[in-house]
Amino acid sequence: MTDSLLSVDRLAVHFGGRSKLFGAAAPTVKAVNDVSFKIDSQRTFGLVGESGSGKSTVARAILQLVDIHAGSIHLDGTDVTHVQRSAELGFRKRVQAVLQDPFSSLNQVHTTETIVGDPITRHRGVKPGNERRDLVGALLDLVGLGRDYLDRYPYEMSGGQRQRISIARALAVEPDLVIADEATSALDVSIQSQVINLLQDIQRERGVAFLFIAHDLEVVSHMSHEVGVMYLGYLVESGAAEAVYQAPTHPYTEMLVASIPFPNPREQAKRRLLRQSFKTAEPPSPANLPPGCPFENRCPVAMDICREEMPPTSVVHHGGVARCHLHTSGPALGGESVVEFIKSQAKGCVEV
Amino acid sequence: MAKYIAFRVLATIPLLLAIAVLTFGISVAMEGRGSIAVSVCGEGATQECVTEVEAALGLDDPLPTRFVNWLGDVVQGDLGTSLSNRNQLVGDLIGERIWPTLSIVSLSLLIGISLGMFFGISAAIRPGGLLDRTLSIVAASVIAAPGFILGMLLSWWLAVRWGWFDPVGYVSMGESTSGWLKSITLPGIALALPTLAIVQRQLRSSMANALQSRYVLAARARGVRSSKLIVSHALPNAMIPTITVIGFRAAAAIGLTVAVEVVFGIRGMGELLVTSIVNRNVTVLQGGMIVVGLAVATVNLLVDISYGFLNPKVRLEK
Amino acid sequence: MTAAHSPVEAEALPDKPQSQRRRFWRRMFRNPLAVLSMLWIAFLVLSWIWPELVATKDPFKGDPTLQDIFLTPNGEYWLGTDGFGRDYFSRVIHGAGFAFQSIFIAMSIAVGIGVPLGLFSGWRGGRIDRTIMWFNDVIFSLPIVLLAFAVVIVLTPSLNSAMVGVGIAMSTRFTRLTRAVTLAEKEELYVDAARITGLSTPTILRRYIAPNLLPSLIVQFAIIAGAIILIGATLSFLGVGANLDDPDWGVMLSRSRVEFRRVGIWQIVPPAGALVLTVLSFNLLGDAIRDSLGRDKTSNALTVSKRVSITPTDRPHREDSLLSIRTMDVEFPTGGGDPVQILNGVSMAVQPGETLGVVGESGSGKSMTVLSALGLTPAPGRMTRGSVKFDGQDVTSISEREWQKIRGKDIGVIFQEPIAVLNPALKVGRQIMEPLLLHTDMDKKAARERAVELLAEVKVPDPRRRIDQYPHEFSGGMAQRVGIAMALACSPKLLIADEPTTALDVTVQGQILDLLMEIQEERGTSIVIITHDLGVIAEVADRVIVMYGGQVVEGGAVDDIFLRPRHPYTKALLDTMPQNHHGDDSPLAVIPGVVPSPTDWPAGCRFAPRCEHATDRCRDELPGLEVLAPGEVVRCHHHGELRELLASEWTEVTL
Ligand SMILES: Nc1ncnc2c1ncn2[C@@H]1O[C@H](COP(=O)(O)OP(=O)(O)OP(=O)(O)O)[C@@H](O)[C@H]1O
Ligand code: SF4
Ligand code: SF4
Ligand SMILES: [Mg+2]
Repeated sequence: MTDSLLSVDRLAVHFGGRSKLFGAAAPTVKAVNDVSFKIDSQRTFGLVGESGSGKSTVARAILQLVDIHAGSIHLDGTDVTHVQRSAELGFRKRVQAVLQDPFSSLNQVHTTETIVGDPITRHRGVKPGNERRDLVGALLDLVGLGRDYLDRYPYEMSGGQRQRISIARALAVEPDLVIADEATSALDVSIQSQVINLLQDIQRERGVAFLFIAHDLEVVSHMSHEVGVMYLGYLVESGAAEAVYQAPTHPYTEMLVASIPFPNPREQAKRRLLRQSFKTAEPPSPANLPPGCPFENRCPVAMDICREEMPPTSVVHHGGVARCHLHTSGPALGGESVVEFIKSQAKGCVEV
Repeated sequence: MAKYIAFRVLATIPLLLAIAVLTFGISVAMEGRGSIAVSVCGEGATQECVTEVEAALGLDDPLPTRFVNWLGDVVQGDLGTSLSNRNQLVGDLIGERIWPTLSIVSLSLLIGISLGMFFGISAAIRPGGLLDRTLSIVAASVIAAPGFILGMLLSWWLAVRWGWFDPVGYVSMGESTSGWLKSITLPGIALALPTLAIVQRQLRSSMANALQSRYVLAARARGVRSSKLIVSHALPNAMIPTITVIGFRAAAAIGLTVAVEVVFGIRGMGELLVTSIVNRNVTVLQGGMIVVGLAVATVNLLVDISYGFLNPKVRLEK
Repeated sequence: MTAAHSPVEAEALPDKPQSQRRRFWRRMFRNPLAVLSMLWIAFLVLSWIWPELVATKDPFKGDPTLQDIFLTPNGEYWLGTDGFGRDYFSRVIHGAGFAFQSIFIAMSIAVGIGVPLGLFSGWRGGRIDRTIMWFNDVIFSLPIVLLAFAVVIVLTPSLNSAMVGVGIAMSTRFTRLTRAVTLAEKEELYVDAARITGLSTPTILRRYIAPNLLPSLIVQFAIIAGAIILIGATLSFLGVGANLDDPDWGVMLSRSRVEFRRVGIWQIVPPAGALVLTVLSFNLLGDAIRDSLGRDKTSNALTVSKRVSITPTDRPHREDSLLSIRTMDVEFPTGGGDPVQILNGVSMAVQPGETLGVVGESGSGKSMTVLSALGLTPAPGRMTRGSVKFDGQDVTSISEREWQKIRGKDIGVIFQEPIAVLNPALKVGRQIMEPLLLHTDMDKKAARERAVELLAEVKVPDPRRRIDQYPHEFSGGMAQRVGIAMALACSPKLLIADEPTTALDVTVQGQILDLLMEIQEERGTSIVIITHDLGVIAEVADRVIVMYGGQVVEGGAVDDIFLRPRHPYTKALLDTMPQNHHGDDSPLAVIPGVVPSPTDWPAGCRFAPRCEHATDRCRDELPGLEVLAPGEVVRCHHHGELRELLASEWTEVTL
């Protein structure tokens, strides 16, 4: 088997935990635990989960922006868990990112030409001047903005236009992998679809791979070939996008699917019933995770074992994995979809 | 809350230690620039004087030992003897001089904080209004005037011209309570005015922020009256940064009272410290610094505790 | 998520940097205090560099006959003379040199230590940062005068050694500021972005952090310059600063500190005046720079926007509506030019017991519509036309006092940011009890019991314990439930929910929407729900109003609008949603272009630049809001012809 473009193996990232100088010890926040996935070249892996579930932290770990507690990351078979300073430039040339907030991810004091041109100078040695301006102009054409935008400042552009600038900056060094962390979330509905289409066009034309992170399962599964679902720092399910969406094998994924609001009143009525079987509870804090399944207090089909033991990962019907006791204990679904089982259980379920 | 207070009290220990190190550092640094004894005893120093001074400072031991000995004495309340008068205990000297200073500082903080809060709130209600603009100009001017200048002006009008107060002198509380109050009123006000202006400005700006917040809008959407929006919604939040500023100002006032005392001819800590510098009487200055440091640490502690009362996030964390 | 809709969209309009700089200077020169301060400081600088040019007399030599002593101002001695007959004017002018020399020494030390230390500490972070900042704060908390004393006794008394002490003390101010800015900037995404690009640390510090640090440093610089002069004068006054004969302002004051009682207050006026004016100038300059850099802050939630001169409308209210808004215009004044019209002719109505959805992109005016209807138009904006009726009463221009009786009692409001709308300093219980104590005759105890019940009704687990907690102990979803409990407290007739789920996760969003629907069913409350998500509308609303560019473009029953939209914008919005593309790989439909800004609405139909059906008529002529049936409206010239074309061929989506 050839190596995937990116493979993340049992990644864990913890924050805090060290004592302050003259203060109490801060509790350790386990932001990412035991997360593994692979991205093949020219493919898109989508990562979805609620806010605080650790999606951005995974991205930041890959980008060398946070300290990695355990696990490893490989790029084309090379270990990039901790990139040495001497190798950093080479790594940065291959892995780029488009960050969440189009307002703060661009420095207000520089023009588009500088923002997009800086990486060209840094990685390709093209000094500021006409040649670099042409290259930047070509990138702006590619992201559908045109050369009129060369001399604009970020605050002279709308959110969608800024996000296109971020994309142009990421593409400037011709990377193999672009990490898009909530790249479309802050945009208006009518603009969001423009940017999604742009990303797909770019993949088709340039053959880049994407790690596409968002909290909207609908958007993620539209964009991605494979998806991973995160909950409280754990990857609870991953697999082929369409299959995960149609026949989820983890109750949390099912909850996400059932929660997507559809612009169709009749469709919505059907989904409401299912959704109502989920309990109203606050997820535990990542600084104080329970010993068992982190989803246990909201799960409509939780069993005793769920409270005590961390569920193992099982291979499931769509070829991916799920981290849920249902596949091995209780009804022992053995990797089948949980939808029918939850529906059958949810019938008489009373709200807590 | 008790736990939080206990924690804050413990946290002042390193602060006090740091102040002690700094204070001790003065005599070390002075030695580094030439003999203290010679500069204290004057050019034609007698050997007797020099040995006496050196013994008083315990200059023979290695530094760490000296620090520990010195600190041990200080903790027991022994601040040594004055270098210019070997019979005079520094502790006694300070004990004599601290009361006028303490009276003036306390009075000034009382006036400055209470009136400052009153005017700060009044100005915040109508930002850009007549009262707000007037107060902002007055406050800016008062902040620019040091307490001793304000003291001279007060002394001229209220004491010299109108004769309401005595222009100079201090009456101790033991002699006459009304006399005491009268003697500290003018210096107290002189020192209070900048405090008042600082508190007013800070509270005005943090009230303005609080009043622009979503929770005030939300409360207004619940039908809450304006007066209540100000007092029970905006004020508790606006006080959080203001308390910090009050703490800094209280510490500064402790230092600035020195000049005000001089204007009113009051023999407080100010005169003591200034004379000690001119005479290079390092033990007295060190004693003064320790006492002032203690006062600053107390103020800090009070600020931290009020902070805990005002800010639920801080209180619950610890 | 989308639409962190600022209520005042007009403010979001960007400036070019050149014009930003120009605006800064324009604002500075428009501020008379700033101009005077700059002039005074410039005059002093001149006196420092070339005192003889300004002052003609010798500041050291007095009148040898000792005749002209303690004089008040006259033609010969402009500011009078001191006890040696020395010319006060010349002495004050020469004093500027001492003041600026003090600033120079102390500031060099303060900036030289403070800025690099703050940069280092903030950038490194972690334990090193905490240690540095702890020591910094110890020094920071000590009185500056005392630190100066300590340095002076070591270095022997002189102005320069005092200024070394002041400089060290002041460096802690710069350390704090620099470190705070560095720390904040370091967290900014664009710094991450720069690191991802591969830029080196020095480059990032130089090109990214420094430009953002500079403005606050300049402000701090001005204020600290004032403080240095003030402390320098205090030290000289105490006799531990400048020499006894120097024409230093503090020394001059010290020399007259006894005499003035005998010979008159004028003796202290020249040096005191110079000192106060100078410190004041620096402070005012600092304030002016800060104000000119930032935004105005002349309004707050208390500033009630004026409700006078509202042009009435002849569009009739529906008699049976609970809340009815007719032809509402809302304007915001701009810094001189024409006011910006944020809302134009907005009409909508809620019937008793129904849920009305209002949908639109950010900047379309959704929030402004309901805020204005409740008399909460954020100042300085104001309603200029229209009429609002609630529960049979015309509330268009009722007083704030009358509103206070309606808001919270008959109308409950739920906001977008559930945590931000809770007062962080108060227990949530107290906040839920507030409307009860205000609008009902319940006592504290009964109100508390009711608050617990309310929390239970909105399904907050363990309400009795949680009522005594503070907002920061709640997750977004739970905080929103508290918000709903507060809005419901007095059983209002109308509940207005402004993007109640936008800040929440989808899974929580579903539960909150369920809760709203339950409330509706059980209590028959009317609900207005504002959202940018058509899916949310489909979930909860009976009728929907679609807004675009500050206008209502379509309104009608939910089933009709989703299946047979009449307005091209509604249709286009539906098509862009990925939900409607499920299972095919074709690209999403897009609406080209961007939402127009309120400062330049298109002349004709506001959607024309993005509409695929636009004709010349559309570009020239603004379509009116056509009423097709009660509660059914559309604003499009061609809706009749387009009717069949827009009707969607809806494909059932399987779960
Ligand atoms: N520097 C940090 N120090 C401490 N905790 C952190 C830090 N960064 C993230 N966390 C915590 O790690 C967890 C995961 O955060 P992360 O930002 O990855 O979530 P997310 O899924 O991207 O959320 P969102 O959708 O809001 O962006 C959260 O509990 C967060 O508070
Ligand atoms: S492990 Fe148990 S609690 Fe967790 S998701 Fe599966 S069934 Fe639910
Ligand atoms: S009026 Fe014209 S431009 Fe406007 S929506 Fe209708 S067809 Fe499109
Ligand atoms: Mg994130």
